[in-house]
Amino acid sequence: MMYVLKDWIFTTDHKKIGLLYLIGSLAAFALAGCMALLMRAELSAIGPTITTNPNDYNVWLYFHGAAMILGFQIPALTGFLANYLIPLQIGARDVAFPRVNALSVWLFYMGIILALMTFVVPNPPDVMWTGYPPYSVLTPGNTALYTFTVLLLGFASILGGVNFLTTITFMRAPGIGWNQLNVFTWCIYGAFILQLIFVPVLGTAVTMIMLDKYVGTHFFDPSAGGDVLIYQNLFWFYSHPAVYVIFLPFIGIVFDIVATFARNRIFNYKAAIYGGIGGIVLLAGEVWIHHLYVTGMPDWIRVGQMITTLMISVPVGLLFISLVGTLYKGSISFKTPMLYGLSVIFLMLIGGLTGIPLAIVSLDLHVSDTYFIIGHFHYVMAVAGTFSIFGGVYYLYPKFTGRMFNETMGKIGFWLSFIGVNTVFFPMMIVGVTTGMPRRYWDYAQFPAAESYHVVMTAGAAIIAVGFIVILINWIHGMFRGEKAGSNPWGSRSLEWTTTSPPLAHGNWEAVPTIEEGWGPYEYGTRKA
Amino acid sequence: MSDHAAHAHGAPTTPWPLVISIGILFFIPLAFMFNFVHHQPFSAVLCLGVGAPLIIMGVIGWVREAIGGAEFPEMRGLGFGAMGWFILAEALIFLPTFATYWIMRLNAPEWPPEGTVDMPSLLPLIMTIILLSSSFTIHYAEEALEKGNVLVFRKLLLATMALGIIFLSMSMYEWNHLFHQNFTISTNIYSSVFFTITGLHASHVIVGLGIFMAILIPALYGTINHVVVRTGSLYWHFVDIIWFFVVSQMYFW
Repeated sequence: MMYVLKDWIFTTDHKKIGLLYLIGSLAAFALAGCMALLMRAELSAIGPTITTNPNDYNVWLYFHGAAMILGFQIPALTGFLANYLIPLQIGARDVAFPRVNALSVWLFYMGIILALMTFVVPNPPDVMWTGYPPYSVLTPGNTALYTFTVLLLGFASILGGVNFLTTITFMRAPGIGWNQLNVFTWCIYGAFILQLIFVPVLGTAVTMIMLDKYVGTHFFDPSAGGDVLIYQNLFWFYSHPAVYVIFLPFIGIVFDIVATFARNRIFNYKAAIYGGIGGIVLLAGEVWIHHLYVTGMPDWIRVGQMITTLMISVPVGLLFISLVGTLYKGSISFKTPMLYGLSVIFLMLIGGLTGIPLAIVSLDLHVSDTYFIIGHFHYVMAVAGTFSIFGGVYYLYPKFTGRMFNETMGKIGFWLSFIGVNTVFFPMMIVGVTTGMPRRYWDYAQFPAAESYHVVMTAGAAIIAVGFIVILINWIHGMFRGEKAGSNPWGSRSLEWTTTSPPLAHGNWEAVPTIEEGWGPYEYGTRKA
Repeated sequence: MSDHAAHAHGAPTTPWPLVISIGILFFIPLAFMFNFVHHQPFSAVLCLGVGAPLIIMGVIGWVREAIGGAEFPEMRGLGFGAMGWFILAEALIFLPTFATYWIMRLNAPEWPPEGTVDMPSLLPLIMTIILLSSSFTIHYAEEALEKGNVLVFRKLLLATMALGIIFLSMSMYEWNHLFHQNFTISTNIYSSVFFTITGLHASHVIVGLGIFMAILIPALYGTINHVVVRTGSLYWHFVDIIWFFVVSQMYFW
């Protein structure tokens, strides 16, 4: 027993570290989901329903946003999936710096501990996940807790970025060229370049908030010559690219899932890699102003960034075409992971198309800060991201447990949560456009027309909760009772499926795999000669 | 890693990353919050007292394990390239503080803002020369090591560290001097930026000295990891280059 515990908490093995990330991020997801349920319950009718203190709603909102983005999606994608898959996909025996990898995961857990202190400190943070001044400086809430949560998770991300960029650059098995990498590996490469450039900016910005509040600096204090807009710019300079830090890995895992279950090569591989991923990395840092259209910017800045924002749909479109093209003439089987993969294509389409009006200044001014925004970003980032993480867990499940999950239960869980999310988030967009109800309100007596929609949304949230419980039971049940999975249950050509399930604890393979001439992770014999 | 690797599955383990993480949790967030949020300086000191030994112990244990080189041959020698990526991230920690400074300064109706004292110009010049020469000493230390001249390497490494410590002391002297003139971090926007940026830079000098310490002590016992030396030296050059931005923007503009 002690050995097992020591094996986990002192581990430097990338697979165990990946699973530690998965456990921590699923815990964050469960708590963030509970916060969402509380908010939905509060909004189910006009007037106070489950609390009479509006600040409770603020704290739920803070925890939901911060935990979903910083505690669940980024760690699950760049922590769990990257850790588990990258060394296996490039034929490496571990990451470049296994100890630094362990430091990353434990810093992540320290960040989670700080985030959980939200529920025990006397004045919990109530600053959303954005922490805008002047409110975050003036509130009695504990803004320092927010800052340090961001700093610890951010430091873990930076160390992870350094580690994985070095790993992918220098530790590919002999014979694997850049054009033979899995799309997921490429996406992680792009995502970590973005992390390294943009996370430090967020770290500095939230530190400046904390200095303003507790040490007495005047960065964001207009009465002394500071400027609150500096914070908003710095924050979105990080936080818009953070969307791509989530987007790239999730689209990467969807690529791998779709190619595996369509038994097909990646359509337009090089266009997807160099145009799609490369284009996103290049453009990601030049679009953040679209979050600030209503703050009174000069027009030339707004129009300039409107153009760059619209331009970024070109690389996203390239990735989309590649995904759909990969299905074309494929031999498709609708296993649970594939359902998630295909649903992400659908969710991304809705989320992406609703993003275009938001990029255009003249349209955005009318729906800015309404429920339309919430609907949009939940589709494109929250739901599509979460579904691809769940798809990724199902996809890798036989690899890391060595057993199969229950296919029927997997499908039931998928359809429940898929119906649930559409019941919640589609009405949000309708509410936003038709009633103009603003986001972040704990009550909406001024918008009586929105009430019936809110009832539907709350019902949808309950369906999602049931769906996720089914999924969780399936995962836990399969770990103990599932039938044994072979090394390659999906029949994939990718390198991670050439080792045993689960892979060797130390070194992944008996020896570094040898790569034959002309090998590729998607060579299903369908490429035209 | 090797001495821990012997049991059941043969999977490598090490306790030090976990120890350091717990140390960091106490040393920075908890100590800060007890002092500044809850105004309990005694608890804050307690947290520092728990955190500091954990971090130091963790770093020592880590260095002892790692200084001999990585476990698999393909992992060796990657530190230098990784430091390049890390420096990219480090540079972007500084960028927002400078950007904030530029925006506030260019939008200010008058500069320097009320309450600013006369900034010294001789002291920062001397500090620049000291830090610059430390970049030279570490470079020649590296060269001596390449030639196999360990004695000269050790001496030049010590000289570099001494210059770093002198630099820090002068920085502290200057801060103290400014405090006595009632120019503190909360005086005005200039002082906010000044103390934040110089403090941020000083913290990087401290980290650099920590890296050199982790090279020096094993070197005294005869273990020198060339990659770590090159990596630490690269970091030091970066800290030096950042100083040029700090000194030119903070004192001479």
